[in-house]
Amino acid sequence: MNTRRLLLFFLLALGAIVLSACSGGPLANNWAGLAADAEHAYLASGSFIYAVELESGKEVWRYPAKADGKLLFYANPVPTSDGQLLIGSAGAKHPFVSLDPATGKEKWAEAFTKSKGGWIGSPLVLNDTIYAPNADGFLYIIDMDGKEAADPIELGGALWSAPSTDGSLLYVTSLDHRFHVIDPAVGETNEPIDLGGAAPSSPVIGSDGVYVGSFASTIEFIKPNGEHEVIAATESWIWGSPLLDGKTLYYADLSGKVFSLDLASGNQNWDTVQPDGPVVASLLIMGDQIYVATEAGTLVALDREGKTVWEKTVGGKLYTTPVISGDLILVAPYQAEFVLAAYDAAGKQAWTFAPEK
Amino acid sequence: MWDTIIIQPMTNLLLLIYDFLGHGPHMFGLAIILFTILIKVITWPLNASQVKGAQAMQELQNDKEWQAIQKKYAKDKEKIAQEQMRIYKERGINPFASCLPTLVQFPIIIGLYQSITRALSATPFDMLKLARTIYPFQNVEGIIPLNSTFLWMDLGRPESIQVLGFALPTLAIIVALTTYIQSKLTMPASTNPNDQGAQMTKMMSIYMPLMLGWFALNFASGIAVYFIISNVLGVVQYAATGRANWSNLLPGGGQKKSSAKK
Repeated sequence: MNTRRLLLFFLLALGAIVLSACSGGPLANNWAGLAADAEHAYLASGSFIYAVELESGKEVWRYPAKADGKLLFYANPVPTSDGQLLIGSAGAKHPFVSLDPATGKEKWAEAFTKSKGGWIGSPLVLNDTIYAPNADGFLYIIDMDGKEAADPIELGGALWSAPSTDGSLLYVTSLDHRFHVIDPAVGETNEPIDLGGAAPSSPVIGSDGVYVGSFASTIEFIKPNGEHEVIAATESWIWGSPLLDGKTLYYADLSGKVFSLDLASGNQNWDTVQPDGPVVASLLIMGDQIYVATEAGTLVALDREGKTVWEKTVGGKLYTTPVISGDLILVAPYQAEFVLAAYDAAGKQAWTFAPEK
Repeated sequence: MWDTIIIQPMTNLLLLIYDFLGHGPHMFGLAIILFTILIKVITWPLNASQVKGAQAMQELQNDKEWQAIQKKYAKDKEKIAQEQMRIYKERGINPFASCLPTLVQFPIIIGLYQSITRALSATPFDMLKLARTIYPFQNVEGIIPLNSTFLWMDLGRPESIQVLGFALPTLAIIVALTTYIQSKLTMPASTNPNDQGAQMTKMMSIYMPLMLGWFALNFASGIAVYFIISNVLGVVQYAATGRANWSNLLPGGGQKKSSAKK
C-alpha cells in the first residue's frame, strides 16, 4: 500500500471519527437517573445501572454485567412494592426491563420491546399495572410480568417525564406542549391542554388539581375536568417539577431563581433567592429544609423563609433531582469525579461513589 | 469558539427556516432540505473553483509534455518538481485550487452535521444545550421540541422500512447510491495508467459511498437526508458545468480511448 493510499485511509478514518464524535446517535449522553429504597441507591448512569449500598456507598451490583454500546440508561429507576426495579434503555436498543433490586438479575422472562423510541421518563405503577411513557409518544400499559396489558395510548409528542396520579386518574405531560388527563379505564378524558411550551417534568398532585411547570416559563394549575389557569410566571424556563408543601408551592427556573408561592393568596412569599446557577432538577423537602441542586454543582439547603441554612459544593453539574432515603440526601453530579454522593441533613458528606472500570 | 462561530449561527438558521415553515409535522425535514440548498448556493463559487482546479490537474495528468517530464526525470525528483512548477506557471494552474476549497468547506460540512444533530435533541441534556444555542429573537418556546417526523421517518433516529420482517435501511442505500453516482460522474477519464490521482479518485468512489452509507445506517436519519440532498445538488451543479462524465455510470465506462491532447 503506497503513501497516498495510507493518507486516504487516514483522512477517511479521521472524518469518521470527527463525525462520530459529533453525532447525536449512539453516543448521545445525558445526566443520570436516581432512585432509592431503604437499603440501596439505584443510579442509571449511561451504560450501567448501579445499586449502591446506602450504609457504605459501595457498589452492590451493576446491570448489565458488560457494557453494550446500544444500551443507555438515564431514567429514574422505579422500585415497586412487589420487589421489582423497573427501567428502560434510551439507547439505540430500548428494552424495558425488570430487575431484582437485591441482585440486579432480570426478573421477567423477556424484556418489553414494543416501543419505537427510548425510555427517558420513568414508569408509574398503579393498581398492579405499569404505565410507561416513551419518547415515541406512546404511553405503554404493561402488567407486572412484563406483558402488554392493554393497547398503548398515543399522546403525540415525546414523553420524557413520569406520569403522576391521584389514585384514579393519570396526569401526563408531553414535549409537544400538551398536558393529558387519562382515565386508565377509558383513555384520555378531555382534549389535551396546551401549556404554551414543552413540559419535561412530572405534574405535582394537589388536593383539587395538579401543578405543572413548562418552557413557557409558567406554572399552571389544572383541575381534573380540564379547567386550567396560569398561577405564576418566571423569567426563564421551568424544567423541574414544582414542590408542594401544604399551601405553599416552591419552584425554580433556568435563570437560577427559586420561588415560594402562597397558594391561598396567590402571592409570592419570596422570590429573591438565587443560588449560584440555573436550576434544572426538581426541588426537594426533608423536615424543615428545602434542597436546591444547581447546575453550578452546589447543593443548597433553604429554610421555609428562603434563608440559606447551608450549601455544599458537590462538583460537576447537578441536573438530577436529589433523592432522600432515611436521613441521607443522595446527589448524582454530572461530569464530576464521582457519580453519586450522600449528605446528611446538616450537609456533612457521608460518602461518594465512583464506579470501578 | 467553534460553537459561537459555526454551530450557533447554523443551528439558528436551520431553526429559523423551520419556524418560517410553520414547525409542523414533516417541516423539519423540509427545513433540512432548504438549509442544504442554501448552503450549497452559498458555497457554489467554492465548489466551482474546486471542480475547475481538479479538472485542470486531471487534464494535466493526460498531457504529453507532463508525461514526458515524468519519464525523463524519473530519477530526479527535484528536477521534476521544478518542471512541474514551470508548467503550472505557464498554463496558469494553481495546484492547490482543487484542495483549498475542500478545506474551507470541511468546517461547513462538520458544522452542518452538528447543527442538525443538536437541533434534533435526543436527550434532555441535548435539549438544554439547544436552548442555550438559540438566539433570543427566535420563537424558542414555540419551536422546541422540533417535530422530527418526516415522511415515514423519525429524523432523530436511524431509518429502516420493514420488508418481509427485515429492516431495510432505505436511506442508507440511497445515500451510498447517490454518493457513488456523484463520485462516478465527477471522475474524469484518464489515459495515463500511472496516474495516481485517478487511482485515488477511483478509491474514493468506493470508500466514500460505504462510509456515508454506514453513517446513514447508524445515525439520525436527518443526517441521511442532508447527505442525499447534498449529493443530488452536487450532481446538478457538476452537470450544469457540462463536465459530468455520464459514461462513467455505464459498465466499462470512464476508459478514455482517444489520445491525450497537448
